[in-house]
Amino acid sequence: MATDLQTILPELILAVYAMLALVGAVYTGKDNLTGPITWLTAGLMAVLALWIGTGSAGSTQAFGGMFLSDAYARFAKVAILIAGAAVLLSGQEAVARRGLGRFEYPLLIALATVGMMMMVSAGDLMSLYLGLELQSLALYVVAAMNRDSVKSTEAGMKYFVLGALSSGLLLYGASLTYGYAGTTLFSGIIGAATGGEISLGLLIGLVFVSAGLAFKISAVPFHMWTPDVYEGAPTPVTAFFATAPKLAAMGLFARVLFDAFGGAVGDWQQIISLMAILSMALGAVAAIGQTNIKRLMAYSSISHMGFALMGLSAGTALGVQAMLVYMAIYLTMNVGTFAFIMSMERDGKPVTEIASLNQFAKGEPLKALAMLVLLFSLAGVPPMVGFFGKLYVLQAAVDAGLTWLAIGGVIASVISAFYYLRIVYFMYFGQTEGQAQAPMSPAAWVALMGSAAIMVLGVVNLFGIETAAAQAAQALVN
Amino acid sequence: MGDGSNLLVIIALLPFIGALVPGWMIRAGRNACATFTAVPTVLALVMLGILAPDVMRGEVIQARFEWLPQLGLSASFFLDGLGLLFAGMILGVGLLIILYARFYLSGDDPMGQFYTYLLLFQGAMLGIVLSDNILLLLVFWELTSLSSFLLIGYWKHLPEGRQGARMALAVTGSGGLAMIGGMLILGNIVGSYDLTDILASGDLIKSSEWYLPALILILLGAFTKSAQFPFHFWLPHAMAAPTPVSAYLHSATMVKAGVFLMARMWPALAGTEAWFYIVATVGLITMVLGAVIALFKDDLKALLAFSTVSHLGLLTMLLGFGTTAAAVAAVFHIINHLTFKAALFMTAGIVDHEAHTRDIKRLGGLAKLMPITATIGTIAALSMAGIPLFNGFLSKEMMLEEASHTYWFENPWIVPALATLGALFSVAYSLRFIFHTFGGPVRDDYPHKPHDPPFGMYAAPALLVVLVVAIGVMPFLADNLVAVAASAVAGEALHPHLKIWHGVTPALFMSFAAIGGGIVLLLIHRPLDRVWIAAPRPEAKAIFDKLLALLVGATRWITEVTHNRSITRYLAIFTVASVALGYAAWTGGGMSAPSREMLPVPPLVGLGFVLLIVGAASVVLFHRNRFRALVVLSIIGLMVSAGFVYLSAPDLALTQISVETVTIMLLLLALHFIPKETPRETRVGKKIADGVVALVAGTGVGALAYAFMRRDVDTISGFHLDNSYAGGGGNNVVNVILVDFRGYDTYGEIIVLGIAGLIIYALMQALLGGPAGRKLRNTDFTRDLSRDRHPLMMVVATRVMMPIAVMVGIYIFLRGHNYPGGGFVAGLVIAIALLMQYMASGFAWTQSRQRIQYHAMIGFGVVIAGLTGAGSWLAGKPFLTSAFGYFEFPPIEEFELATAALFDLGVFLTVLGAVMLMLFSLSRIARYAGQSVNLEPMDYDPADRVKPLEGGKE
Repeated sequence: MATDLQTILPELILAVYAMLALVGAVYTGKDNLTGPITWLTAGLMAVLALWIGTGSAGSTQAFGGMFLSDAYARFAKVAILIAGAAVLLSGQEAVARRGLGRFEYPLLIALATVGMMMMVSAGDLMSLYLGLELQSLALYVVAAMNRDSVKSTEAGMKYFVLGALSSGLLLYGASLTYGYAGTTLFSGIIGAATGGEISLGLLIGLVFVSAGLAFKISAVPFHMWTPDVYEGAPTPVTAFFATAPKLAAMGLFARVLFDAFGGAVGDWQQIISLMAILSMALGAVAAIGQTNIKRLMAYSSISHMGFALMGLSAGTALGVQAMLVYMAIYLTMNVGTFAFIMSMERDGKPVTEIASLNQFAKGEPLKALAMLVLLFSLAGVPPMVGFFGKLYVLQAAVDAGLTWLAIGGVIASVISAFYYLRIVYFMYFGQTEGQAQAPMSPAAWVALMGSAAIMVLGVVNLFGIETAAAQAAQALVN
Repeated sequence: MGDGSNLLVIIALLPFIGALVPGWMIRAGRNACATFTAVPTVLALVMLGILAPDVMRGEVIQARFEWLPQLGLSASFFLDGLGLLFAGMILGVGLLIILYARFYLSGDDPMGQFYTYLLLFQGAMLGIVLSDNILLLLVFWELTSLSSFLLIGYWKHLPEGRQGARMALAVTGSGGLAMIGGMLILGNIVGSYDLTDILASGDLIKSSEWYLPALILILLGAFTKSAQFPFHFWLPHAMAAPTPVSAYLHSATMVKAGVFLMARMWPALAGTEAWFYIVATVGLITMVLGAVIALFKDDLKALLAFSTVSHLGLLTMLLGFGTTAAAVAAVFHIINHLTFKAALFMTAGIVDHEAHTRDIKRLGGLAKLMPITATIGTIAALSMAGIPLFNGFLSKEMMLEEASHTYWFENPWIVPALATLGALFSVAYSLRFIFHTFGGPVRDDYPHKPHDPPFGMYAAPALLVVLVVAIGVMPFLADNLVAVAASAVAGEALHPHLKIWHGVTPALFMSFAAIGGGIVLLLIHRPLDRVWIAAPRPEAKAIFDKLLALLVGATRWITEVTHNRSITRYLAIFTVASVALGYAAWTGGGMSAPSREMLPVPPLVGLGFVLLIVGAASVVLFHRNRFRALVVLSIIGLMVSAGFVYLSAPDLALTQISVETVTIMLLLLALHFIPKETPRETRVGKKIADGVVALVAGTGVGALAYAFMRRDVDTISGFHLDNSYAGGGGNNVVNVILVDFRGYDTYGEIIVLGIAGLIIYALMQALLGGPAGRKLRNTDFTRDLSRDRHPLMMVVATRVMMPIAVMVGIYIFLRGHNYPGGGFVAGLVIAIALLMQYMASGFAWTQSRQRIQYHAMIGFGVVIAGLTGAGSWLAGKPFLTSAFGYFEFPPIEEFELATAALFDLGVFLTVLGAVMLMLFSLSRIARYAGQSVNLEPMDYDPADRVKPLEGGKE
C-alpha cells in the first residue's frame, strides 16, 4: 500500500492540491485569487514535471498493475505537465482581460491534468476510464467557461453530448473486452488477445474502445466536435484543448493498443491507418476554406493527429517513438501559436479572423517572424523542427510497409502547407491593413518566442528528446 | 577525413556564417556591405579551387557527420564533378550578382537585408549540390524555397512581387514536400539515405515495385522547382523580383536545382521507359511552349523568363533521353545557358535601370545610345539563338543531334520536328531581343534618356560574354569540366570531345532550318503578334487562381456538409462511423458457430415482446406529445422488467421496476415546467435519413447481442456463484457483488449519486436566483391545472399505502443479502412511498411534515458506508473487507449478521436522500412558478361539505 501510494505520489499531490485550493479559495478571496492560483498551479505542475523527469528510472506498478509508472508514462507526463503549465501561464493575462478569471479555471486544468497523468499510466481498463473521465469532465466544464457567450456554452454542450456518447461507446467496448478476456488488466488482456486470431468479442471490444479514444484525439470520423469547440471555447481554453489532452489521449491510445492489444497488431493497424489517412486528408482539405484562425487550428490539429496516428499505425517501437517525438513537437508548436492567437485583438476586442492579420508584419516584425517560423514548422517545411517530426512518422510508416499511408501523408502535408502559408502571406503581403495587434504578457511573449526559437534551434539535435522517446517507446512496446 | 573534406564542410557553411555579416556591415556603408558579402563567397570559391584539381582527376571528396542517426539523417557532403560544376556556378555567378546588385539597388532599398537573404540562398543552393544525404538535400531544398520567397518578395511595395512570391512559394514548396515522400521511399528501397549508396543501387531501385511512386514524387519536386510544364507558370510571375534576384535565382541557380536533381539521380532513376516518357515528354512540351510564349512577350524580363523555361525544358528533355551522349549535351548546355542567360538578365536589368522601362514596344535604337550594353546583349542573345561561333550553338547542335534519332512511341518524327520547332522559336525571340531593343532608329520618347552604365554594372555581364565567345570558339576549353561532370551524371567515365564542326549531319540541317525559320518569324512578327493577342489562350495565372478558388470552394462545401454545426448531424456521423467500424470488425473477426439453442417462445412472452416493440414504435410516433410518450415509455420499462423476471433475474427486475417508477414520476413532475410538445420536424428527407441511421444502429446493436448470446463464453459468473456464500455470506449473488465483491465500486457510486443530488439542488439554487427564475415567475402555469389537484381518493389511498410501503422497503432491505432485494431497491421503494405523498397532497404539505434533511440523509449514508469499510481496518483487513457471522437469538431462528448489511444501510440512505433531494429541487421550481401552496392535505376537506348540511338542519 505504501509503495502504491509512493508510485502515484505526483498525481496524489496535484489532486490534493487542487481540492484544497478549491475549498480554500471558496472560503477566502474567490476570483481575486485567480492570478496567484494560476501561478501556483503552473509552478506546481512544472515542479512535478521536473521531479518526474529526473526521478527514478525503470518501471514500477501500483495497485496490482492498474497503475504503471514506466519511461513511457514519464515521458508523456513531463510533456503534459509542461504544456499545461505553459498554456496556463501564457493564457493567464488573456483570461483576465476577457473577464473569465474564475479561480476554478486553473484548478479544473489541474484536475484535468491529474486525469491525463492517470490516463498515460493506466494499466487497466478501470484506471483508463477513471483518468479519461476525470479529464473529460473537467474539460467539459472549461469549454463552457464563458457562460455568457452562447457560442461557448453551445460548444460545451456539444462537447459534452458527443463526449458522453463516445464514453458510452468506449465502455461498451471495454465491457466486451472484459467479458471475453476475463480481466480488465492490460497484462491479462494481452494474453487473451495474441496470435493471428482473436475472438470476435475482443475484436469488437477493441474497435469500440478505439472509437471512443479516437474521439478524444479528434481523429476522423470522430472529430466533429473539434472545430466547434475550438471556435466556441475561450481562446486560452482552446489552447489547452489543443495541447496536453491530445498527447494524453494519444498516449493512452498507444498504451491500450500496445499493452492490451499488442498481440493483435494486424487487427488494429487497419483501423488506425484508416483513421490516420482520413484525419490527415480531412484536416488538410477542410482547413483551406476557413476564415477563422481558431477553426483553422482545429482542422490543423485533426491533421496533425492523423500524422501522429500514422506513427502509431506502424505498430513498431520506432512508430511509437515517432509518435512521441511528433506529439512533443506538436505541443511546442501549438503552445507558441496559441500564445499568439490568444493575444490577437483589434481595438481592444479579441479577434480570430485570419484577414485581420493583414500586414501584421509591418507593425510587429518580430512577432510576425516568430509566427512565420511556427507556421512553417506546422506545415512541416524543412529545416524547421516540424519537418523532423513529419520525417519520423513517415519513416516509421515506410519502414512498417505502409508506403501508401506515407504517400497519402505527404500529399496531405502538401495541401496543408497551403493554408499555413496563406497566413504567412496575409501577415507579410496582405492587401489592406487588418489592424490586428497582439499585446502580450511577458509569459505569452516568452511562450511565443521560446517555441519559435525551439523550432529553429531544435534542428541541431531535437534537444535530445529522441533518446527519451526511444526509451519510452521501448518501455511500451517490449 | 583529409583536409579536403574539412574544406568541403567549410565551403558549405561559409555562406550561412556570412549571412550574419551584411546586416551589421550596412551601417558602414553600401560599399563595405557589398565587399563583406563578397568575402565569404570569394573564400568559398578559392577553397573550391583548391579542391578542384582532385575532383578533375576523378576523385570524390567526402565529409560526414552524424546528425540524427536514427532518422538516417547525417550531415554529409560530397564533391564530385557535377557538384563541382554547380558549386562553381553558384559561387561564381553569386559573386557577379553581388557586384551587380551593389550598383543596381537604389538608395531606398535596404541593402543589408538583401545581401543577407542572398547569402542564405547561396548557402541553401550550395547545400543542395554538395549534400551526400537525400534528407539533408531535402532540408536545403526547402531552404531555397524559403529564402527565395524572401528575395522575390523583397520589393514589398509591388503587388506583383507579393503575388509572385506567394505563387513561387506555393508551387515550389509543395513540390518539395511531395519530394519528401519520394526520397523516403527511395531510402527505404535502398536501406540508406546516403546518395552514394543510392546512386550505386540503380538496378535495385528500378526493379522495385515502389519505383514509379518514388519517381513521380521526386519528379514533382524537380519539375516544380525547374518550372516544367504544367508548373511553368510561376517563374514568369516571380520576375517581379529585382533583376539581380531574377538573374541569380531564375536563370543560373534555383531553377536549375530541379535539373541538378534529375542529373544527380540519373544513375539511380534514369533509363526506364517511365523515366523517358515522363521526363523527355514534359521537357519537350516545356521547351516548345516556353519558346512560343517568349516570342510574344513584350516585357524583356518576361521574354527571358519564358526563354529560361524553354531552355530548362531542353535540359529536362536531354536528361530524359537517358543516353550518355544526351547527358553530356545536358551538362554542356547547363554551362552555356548559365553564361548567356545571366548576361542577358543583367543586360535587361541595365536597360530597365537606364531607360526606366522594359517594354520592348517602347524601346529600340539603344545600340547607338548604349553601345557597350548593346554589344554584350547581342552576343549573349546570339548565343541563345544558337548561332555558330557562340557557345549556345554547340550544345544546341548536340541536342538536335540527340533528338534526331529519338523515337517517341515508335514515331521517329515527333521529337526531331518539335525540337526543331523549339529551336526555331528560340532563334526568333533571341533575334527579336536584339533587333527590337537595340536595333532600329533612336527614339525620343524613352521614359528616361538611356546611356551606358558605370563599369561596375556591366563588368559582370561582360565577363560572362567573354566566356560565351571563348567557349564558342574554342570548345575544348570546357572539355575537362564537361567530361568530369558528365561522368558524375552518368555514373561512368566519359570522354567527350567538344567540336564546332561535326560534319554534315541531320542536326546541321535542323539548325539551318531553325535559323532560317526564326528569321522569317521575326520578319512577320507584327502580324503574328496581332493574331496572338487576338487569339484566346489559357492564361496560366488565371488558371492557377481559378484552380485555387475551385479548391477553396470545394473544401468549403465539404466542410459545410460535414460541419454544419448541427449536433444532430454530428451524432449521425458518429453513429454511422461506429456502426461501420463494428461491421468491419464483425466481418474481419473469426466467428464460431452458434453453440446455444434458441429458447422456446411461449405465446405470453411473445406478446410481451410484441408489446415492447409496439411501445418503442409508439414513442417514435407520439414523441411530439411528451406526456403520451412518457406513458408509453413507462410501459416499455415495465415490459423490460417483466422480461427480467421471465429470464430469472429477479434482482434486476426489482431494481429496474423501482428505478423505472422513480424516474417516470420525477419526469412527470418535471414535465410540468417544460413545453408539452417537441418541436415539429417537417423535412421528410431528414426524417427518413435519421430513421435509417437509427434503424441501422439499432439493428447493429441487436445483431451483436444476438450473436454473443447464441455462443458460449467463459464468464466470470462461475467465480461469483462459487464464492458468494462462502466468501460473502449471502445467497443473493447480485447483492453480494454489490456490497462485497465490488463494494468499492458501490461505495464510489453512492458518492456519485449523492453528489448528483446535491448538484441538482445547487444548480436549482443558482438557476432560480438568475434570469431563469424570473422567467419562471412570469410564466402562467395555471391554465391547465386541474381543479381537483389532490383528490380525496388518492390522498386516502396513499396514506394507507405509506406504512405498507415502508414495511415492504424494510423487508426488501433485510432480505437483500440472501434473496432479491437490498439497500438500493429498498431506498427506491421508500422513495416511491414518499413520492406518492408528494403527488397526492402537494409539495408544501408534505415538505412541512418532513423532519430529516435530505442532505443529512445523503451524508449519513456515505459516512455509514465509509465507516463500515474503515471498520475492517480495525480487524487488520483492507478497506471494505466484509465480515459476517451467524447468530441465534431464541425465539428467532439462526440468522446472519454481516457488516455488509451496515454498508447496505449506507447505500439505502444515500439513495433515498438523493432521490428525495431531486424531488425537492423540482418542487422549488413549482413554487417559483407561483403554484399555490396547499396547506391542507386535500384541496377541499370533505368534512367541510358535511358541516353546511348539518347547518341546514338548523
